Amino acid sequence: MLIEFSNIYKSFGPVEVLHGVSMSVKGGQIMALLGENGAGKSTLMNILGGLLRADSGEIFLDGSPVVMRSPNESIAHGIAFIHQELSPVNDLRVYENMFLGREERKRFGFLDRAKMRQKARELLADLEIEIDEETYMRDLDASHKQIVEITRALLCEARTIIMDEPTTSLAEHEIELLFKLVRKLVAQGVGIIFISHKLNEVKDLCTDYVVLRNGYVVASGKMDEVTTEQLSEHIVGHELAQMSRTAVMHHEDEVLRVEHLSRERQFSDVSFSVKSGEILGVTGLLGDGRSELFRSIFGDTPDYEGQVYLDGQPFHAKSTSQAIRAGIVLVPSNRKENAIIPDLSVLYNGTLATLKRYCRLGLLRRAPQESEFLVHAADFRLKYGKLDDLVTTLSGGNQQKVVLSRWLNTNPRILILDNPTQGVDIGAKQEIYEIIRKVASTGVAVVVLSGEGQEIIRLCERTLVMYHGRIVGELRGDEMTEQAIMKYATGLGA
Amino acid sequence: MDMGKNKVIKWFSAQWTGNPLFSTTLALCAIIILQTCALGFDYASFGEWWSKFCNNWIIVLRNNATTGIVSLGMAFVIISAGIDLAVGSTFVASGALFLLLLDSSGAGLLPAAGLSGWPAFGIAVVLVVLFGALLGGVNGVLVADGGIPPFIVTLGTMKIYRSVTQHFMQGRSPTFPSSDFGSFSTVTIGGYMVMPIVYWLLIAAILYVISKKTVFGTHVVAVGSNEKAAKLTGISVKAVKRMVYVMTGALVAFASVIQICRIGSMDYSNAGSGYEMDAIASVIVGGTRMSGGRGTVIGTMLGVLIIGVMNNLLNLYGVPPFLREAFKGVIVIIAVLLQKKEATS
Repeated sequence: MLIEFSNIYKSFGPVEVLHGVSMSVKGGQIMALLGENGAGKSTLMNILGGLLRADSGEIFLDGSPVVMRSPNESIAHGIAFIHQELSPVNDLRVYENMFLGREERKRFGFLDRAKMRQKARELLADLEIEIDEETYMRDLDASHKQIVEITRALLCEARTIIMDEPTTSLAEHEIELLFKLVRKLVAQGVGIIFISHKLNEVKDLCTDYVVLRNGYVVASGKMDEVTTEQLSEHIVGHELAQMSRTAVMHHEDEVLRVEHLSRERQFSDVSFSVKSGEILGVTGLLGDGRSELFRSIFGDTPDYEGQVYLDGQPFHAKSTSQAIRAGIVLVPSNRKENAIIPDLSVLYNGTLATLKRYCRLGLLRRAPQESEFLVHAADFRLKYGKLDDLVTTLSGGNQQKVVLSRWLNTNPRILILDNPTQGVDIGAKQEIYEIIRKVASTGVAVVVLSGEGQEIIRLCERTLVMYHGRIVGELRGDEMTEQAIMKYATGLGA
Repeated sequence: MDMGKNKVIKWFSAQWTGNPLFSTTLALCAIIILQTCALGFDYASFGEWWSKFCNNWIIVLRNNATTGIVSLGMAFVIISAGIDLAVGSTFVASGALFLLLLDSSGAGLLPAAGLSGWPAFGIAVVLVVLFGALLGGVNGVLVADGGIPPFIVTLGTMKIYRSVTQHFMQGRSPTFPSSDFGSFSTVTIGGYMVMPIVYWLLIAAILYVISKKTVFGTHVVAVGSNEKAAKLTGISVKAVKRMVYVMTGALVAFASVIQICRIGSMDYSNAGSGYEMDAIASVIVGGTRMSGGRGTVIGTMLGVLIIGVMNNLLNLYGVPPFLREAFKGVIVIIAVLLQKKEATS
């Protein structure tokens, strides 16, 4: 069993995300696939999983070229993709989930439940997993759901399993359970591609590594010949390591103070403050609750406990529009889902939050709308065709600039940016950092939520690290290193 | 020569893929040509043909004025990613109120209050439009604040509004004083009875301005296109949703007034029934996306015309009435197929 990628290229619109990637995985290997968000890991794996097609390049399976036109073809070739966000059917039982879509049948198409139960029981016993196949999926915890997902892969005789950040939502002992299973599978000759941001864990589990950066393979080899420091440098890259950091300055006026904020299952007992002109980072791993925390402060989910103070006065936004009027704005993560209005033009997307301002007698006037937007467009070096083109015709970085200008039009006092450089290339990234620094220099308190360590280190003066809904660490200036952040983010700081 | 041909083809394909109304307009032109042919050219003079031609068009437009107005409201609802199945029932309920208010057989509410003549008519129209807005508002509140899917809400109110109207109107038979107020719809201009068409075009013009030049018009698109983003942008998604249903209710009530003034009565069990589907069909044919975010007033007008002219055409060619609905169905499906091609290419 050997999978080889040969010279894979892939572009999304004008942006090329894979520039001739070659790598290989064979049975018995646990291959760590490393890289920052946007490095091309997911794209590469989606090509293998049949969710995307490569623009050029080939995949070889045991030496013969294969094309995955759909997830089903990929599965038929013995490749199983376990996604980061699991999608089990919670209202079905464990064995039903295991056989979902490949149910055993009797004559006339009736379900052969007995056979499915028995097969499921055998497999679980075989792997020494203590799960009752009759349990409802909703009654399992995260790690066991993950394990059921893996057994699903084994049932269709997967020879290669892709695991996309499988441990982010797992607790320490659950991770142990998962690793035990992974090692067992590898001993049976299965090949694993393991995507993770936690270098310690990767070092511990994996046998080999490949590092992707901006769509290139920048390093690969045996895991026991490399240190986590070296891996981290490969991941970040020399270029970014050289990128200038924001100067740490002294700020006087506290704008936002948060005391003992809690919301059930999302964050608990969070306290911090931000000053005018400061750039504060908030980071952590998936499931740390940072996005949920700021969504609450922004009035999107206002049913929290605790107290927020704006300029020293108690403030509780009941709606997003109330927060915006008070000068708090949040540029949400996942631009496509939460920010872009695909059916509106560049101009309207860039001015959507302030349309009322351009009205006279209830009718929109084009001239002030255009002139306000064009100021930002020039400032941000926005690349667009016509103002009336749909916003979806722009590249990711330019869409993000349009979204930023939408918010900066409102003259915010507190600017919260959730994952502001998601899916943008390194050039646009630098430009966006410059924009953010400039905004902060005008006295706006900026809060940057990001899971990318380097982004926090380059852009922020100070960072809070969250773990399972709590702030577990605070780092300032030179204290901010990937290692220090990761230590807190994995819950090892305390 | 060759260059010119190439240019035409290029322009055509750019329009075909880039302009969502292009195929709709082409289809309408094709149907109009067929319709014109159906009238025949066998006339003594051009003047005779012309008057026949105009007459036919006035009839087509007038017959579609009420559904046209309803469709415009429906377009806003669908652009906001909703649907309003209750338009037909709102139509009949507001019509019933209108008749009760102006009843000339002795029990009219306004005559009883000592009001008569055009002032009474004016008050009645305002009250009926407000009533329609209220019925729409109930839909809007249930959708926006109750969080119930619009299809379910309006399916429910569709049943409620009509059934309550029918029950309430049992044993009541208000008479509309057509001789006094019928002229609201029936007065002729240049020998043609065009008032319903005038109202329709006037409303279309107002709605066009609302959709293109107001914050509300933009917010409707934003909510329909990406509700989550709209909410995070500080747009009051709930207010926008409530408003589109209120607006539709008011428009439907006004359409009901036009209709009653024109024909002088209302059949509580049948009037307005099927309006919801006719309106949805027109809106879809007019290039509006069922899942919201895309659609225009002009497209909706084209959609109403396509279905209206098609009906007329089938009538002129003598297609049996029961089959006409089938043609409507075919048109809707073809229209959506064409739009799908535009969207993916």
